[in-house]
Amino acid sequence: MNMIGLVSGLLFGGILAGANLHEFDSIHNFLRLDDLYIAWFMGSAIAVSAPMLWWLERRGVETPLGGRLALSRSLPEARHFKGGAIFGLGWAIAGTCPAPALVMVSSGALLGLVAIAGIFVGLHLRERQALRELVDLTEQVPAHR
Amino acid sequence: MIDLFPDRLPWWIAGPALGVLIVVLFVVANQPLGASGAYVQTSGFLRRRDGVAMWRVWYFVGMFAGGFLVTQVLRSGRELRTGYDALRDAFPLGIVVPMVFAGAILLGYGAGLAGGCTSGHGLCGTAQRSRASVAVTATFMATAIATTAVLQIVTPL
Repeated sequence: MNMIGLVSGLLFGGILAGANLHEFDSIHNFLRLDDLYIAWFMGSAIAVSAPMLWWLERRGVETPLGGRLALSRSLPEARHFKGGAIFGLGWAIAGTCPAPALVMVSSGALLGLVAIAGIFVGLHLRERQALRELVDLTEQVPAHR
Repeated sequence: MIDLFPDRLPWWIAGPALGVLIVVLFVVANQPLGASGAYVQTSGFLRRRDGVAMWRVWYFVGMFAGGFLVTQVLRSGRELRTGYDALRDAFPLGIVVPMVFAGAILLGYGAGLAGGCTSGHGLCGTAQRSRASVAVTATFMATAIATTAVLQIVTPL
């Protein structure tokens, strides 16, 4: 599985680099709606993968490493809208997202290191908050439950 | 120096290739290709936590290495630079650095709260037809486009 992780990362990073998604300007020009390349890029990736996944799940494909193919489908909750809005704010300001930030650094752009550090800090802040919420929740639960 | 991709790949090659990669990872391992999860596992690994999904740490390393391979080996190698060209043209470095850092903290926090980022929800989640992922994707797209429009009006960007 580690080898599969490494190869998936190599291919994903390579595709992102080939598509220039590691450049702030690519993402910024998309969000200005000046250049819809990213919309076509993401849209065509989904247009290819969604029908294939639907068909493979319906056939009940057994995966060699993960059991029977089971897609995860969930319903939107408040955290999805809140998280999405905060993420979108960051996407516009930092002009990158988690995967392209890594490629940014490997392309020689040093500000990518600042972006990666920030993403780690942000995820850590959320993790700590989630733990606190969990503690609060268990303290509220009456002892007899 | 070889220069295989002097310009960006056409979207109709890069997009479908990524779509196939997403399907392959599901078919082989029943796993989504999410990048923020790789950050979470890598941070757990660096802090010597138990129960780290090591393959996601390798996936993290792989994204970096894949980017290196394409930008430095297949494309004519580039010297170290700051990146963020348009942002650098609009602001001095003393503003760009805290701006990128603050934006990235929002990225990390938002991805943590939503349970995924552009790859996990935007690509894999929507491809699985998860309504939560469609909601996250629509929300971050709309927010980012609106934020960019505001930045254009109130800053020199």
